[in-house]
Amino acid sequence: MSDLRGRRVALLSDSLLERLLDPLAAEGFGVIQLPPDGLDNATVAAWLEQVAEHVEEFQRTGYEVVLVSDGRHDEALAPLGLAQYAIQPPSTSRLTPET
Amino acid sequence: MKRVALIAHCLINQNAKVEGGALTPAVWAPVVEMLREHGWVIRQMPCPELAFAGARRFWGVYEQYDTPLFRRHCRRLAKLIAAVVAQEVGEGDELVLIGIDSSPTMGVDHTCSSPTWGGEPNIGPQDDSALVEGRGIFVAEVHAELRERGLPIPRSTGIRHWFPGYDAAEEHARLQELLR
Repeated sequence: MSDLRGRRVALLSDSLLERLLDPLAAEGFGVIQLPPDGLDNATVAAWLEQVAEHVEEFQRTGYEVVLVSDGRHDEALAPLGLAQYAIQPPSTSRLTPET
Repeated sequence: MKRVALIAHCLINQNAKVEGGALTPAVWAPVVEMLREHGWVIRQMPCPELAFAGARRFWGVYEQYDTPLFRRHCRRLAKLIAAVVAQEVGEGDELVLIGIDSSPTMGVDHTCSSPTWGGEPNIGPQDDSALVEGRGIFVAEVHAELRERGLPIPRSTGIRHWFPGYDAAEEHARLQELLR
């Protein structure tokens, strides 16, 4: 049976999810959402704990895992040793006047 | 007031699917598009199977996952969902839950069942598994945790892209009804 998974996973800050979900998906990255603002500390800690469990399993089995982050949870995620994924700036091609 | 959709992990991370189950490289787009169309904010739930049974787990049915230890694992994750629900309810937000019908863990109205699966993974022509009505184990534990805390059970449905004869139009209409 064919399986189309991209074997690429991006931990994505909630603040960036709406803007970057589609571009990341276009590059074959599935997304693990990081906690949104407004949750209490215990809930954030529990959220990050289960995120780390997912990441460790993906890393163990050879998936590419990157961090696409607004910096909010970088310290807590540091033990996972993830590379920060370079966010591409929006294309300016549409702004170039036709000559 | 926000509209918050608790969605199955694999809907935006197909890598969490059991091997053979990923229908796209990354995201199941129809759900994401409909959530945007109707102004719902995404809250991705954990995958209860991935960290517990691994990325290389075999396909499984409800009866295989229905162990006391896996139930405790699901309840631990369900406490996180309940904490999110409590916060959102406290802010007056509207909630829905979108699972995966056919999944032994994430099914909302349907799960997969077999009285015999076990042992050698090559089931072959003797396969007696079937889709049956019922909740997956994680969704059931989420409901139980919410009930214990006196929190409302979100309106829910399950994505059925693994049903034989999957009917995308039926699913679209069902999601429209949930999300409108």
